[in-house]
Amino acid sequence: MAELFSPIDGNVWKILVSVGQKVQMDDELVILEALKMETPIYCEEDGTVSEIRVKEGDAVKEGAVLVVIS
Amino acid sequence: MSRKQTPLRPYFEKMAEIGKALSEGEVRRSKENIELVREQEAIIAQEVERVKNAGIPAEKIHQRGGMTIYDRLDYLVDKGTWSPLHTLYNPVDNEEGCTGVVNGLGKIEGKWAVIIGFDNKVMAGAWIAGQAENILMVTDLAKRLNIPLVWLTNCSGVKLMEQETVYAGRRSSGAPFYRHADLNHLGIPVLNAIYGTNPAGGGYQGISPTILLAHEGANIAVGGAGIVGGMNPKGHIDLEAARALIDGTKNFKSKDPGRVETHFTQTAYFREVHETEQGVLDGIKDYMRMMPAYDPTMFRVAAPAAPKFPAEDLNMILPANQKRPYDAIQILARLTDNSEFMEYRPDYGREVFTGIAKIDGFPVAFVGNRQGIFQGYPEYAEGAYPAVGGKHYRQGLIKQAEFVTLCGRDNLPIVWLQDTTGIDVGDLAEEAELLALGQSLVYSIEQTELSMLCIVLRKGSAAAHYIMAGPQANNNNAFTLGTPLTEIYVMHGETAAAASYARRLVKEDEAGKDLTPVLDKMNQMIEDYQVKSRPAYSAMKGFVDEIVPLTELRQYIQAFTGANYQNPKSITPVHQLLLPRIIKG
Repeated sequence: MAELFSPIDGNVWKILVSVGQKVQMDDELVILEALKMETPIYCEEDGTVSEIRVKEGDAVKEGAVLVVIS
Repeated sequence: MSRKQTPLRPYFEKMAEIGKALSEGEVRRSKENIELVREQEAIIAQEVERVKNAGIPAEKIHQRGGMTIYDRLDYLVDKGTWSPLHTLYNPVDNEEGCTGVVNGLGKIEGKWAVIIGFDNKVMAGAWIAGQAENILMVTDLAKRLNIPLVWLTNCSGVKLMEQETVYAGRRSSGAPFYRHADLNHLGIPVLNAIYGTNPAGGGYQGISPTILLAHEGANIAVGGAGIVGGMNPKGHIDLEAARALIDGTKNFKSKDPGRVETHFTQTAYFREVHETEQGVLDGIKDYMRMMPAYDPTMFRVAAPAAPKFPAEDLNMILPANQKRPYDAIQILARLTDNSEFMEYRPDYGREVFTGIAKIDGFPVAFVGNRQGIFQGYPEYAEGAYPAVGGKHYRQGLIKQAEFVTLCGRDNLPIVWLQDTTGIDVGDLAEEAELLALGQSLVYSIEQTELSMLCIVLRKGSAAAHYIMAGPQANNNNAFTLGTPLTEIYVMHGETAAAASYARRLVKEDEAGKDLTPVLDKMNQMIEDYQVKSRPAYSAMKGFVDEIVPLTELRQYIQAFTGANYQNPKSITPVHQLLLPRIIKG
């Protein structure tokens, strides 16, 4: 199981996957927005999206878990 | 037994490796980016083709048995070394669609030269609007790099219908004659291959260089063949005067003065005369072989080596979406020898990287912007806001100024990889002294004698574009490159629109008026900023000197480096360099 964390304080701009979706390493899963920049969150290992703990528009802090891959 | 090595071998033979190969996933998700880069490349290529076809068709020159400027360059320049500059430069958007000169860096007989020639398809090489500024940038380049300037002269003089755009003024078409004199005075030779009829301005273009080689059909003279007809006291031309002019022209038999019979046989200005156009170029090659040039062994610190990673990766690493960050070190790893880099103060001023790399075995300094968000930095804004890559903060400005100063002492040419949106602003930034630190970096650059190359990878904005040795660093910046993803503007269009119209919006809103007219003006401004920051526009106006595919950046860095080390005016013995010792500790 892998938890993908937010590296920054920001907002969830886009969620590009859904629960149950198969993903590969380096796939783009979430896009955060902060300071007019997009910060993409990439998958770190092949697997399946088991949880999405945020929704579009949420404010997140650095270290918040965004997506869980199993 | 003799033993030889490159100097300071423990520091330079093997440096820290940087970058890594792109993963399958990174390659997979970059397909769209490659397409976006290629779209921009196609726009530029189309413009380049348009410029190359300016004037009369090349076939007409060929039918007369002549060579076009492009034929001459193809014959003259060592294969694989031609690095064109100012191809799309046309700052006043003249009717010819170009400045009528073609120029760049290239090797001739193995030695670097700045090479420029008149496009003989365009009004027989006339002086046209915007051209003088182009030529002045080229003479600046030869002076900056201390390498020969090679001219392919074919100049019919002033375009008489627009004389006010070329003839007079401080930076007019007469200024290059002073520049040639300046180069000569500084010991930088100007080699001249002369073709065609070159009267008046063309005559001084012919005579002002150091070495004059001519085609047998060429001439250079103070004035042309003579004006037919006398003065018309009426102050205008009527039918009677026109009739006299027609008769006079039909009977006019005078030859162009300043022919070979005069300037080879009598005055001996022409050192050589050749029957063929190629012969003149062969003469230039002969003289280039005589030009001063150190063997690269003098200054190399290692054997030349290609980067470990392919240049094509750059089209995947640099996002076309300007809001996306990327790993700038991955870019650097595709540009430097062996993908190695000796970084200076990596933990201080994290928003920029500074350090030494090798290009073709020569030591070269690099400075560039990192991208992304830096939590817990800058220290003076702790708790207020994080740093954003592309901006400059206190530590980064201090580090860059320090690094540049040490490069000056060490005589290391600097390549600047800009992708910058500005210097931090606000009360905290002012209290952190960023205004003066930005100018301090300018001062640090100016007080060196270094040649610098600026590459605007993506954004060049605000004062940051200036302080990172942008083209405004007239004395140090050799030339500036853009890429298909370059955007240059003082600020983003939306920010500019807000700054320009916010108060008006408030006023209109409080007055209960329809905001649509103001919104239309704002959106027009945003659209205007978009159009006027595109790569082709930037090249046309001279915001950059050339738009280059990402895959060709290294070629230009190699040209810059090779030219810099060909005949440097100042030498720091490699074993006396300070920066590598500071970096090692």
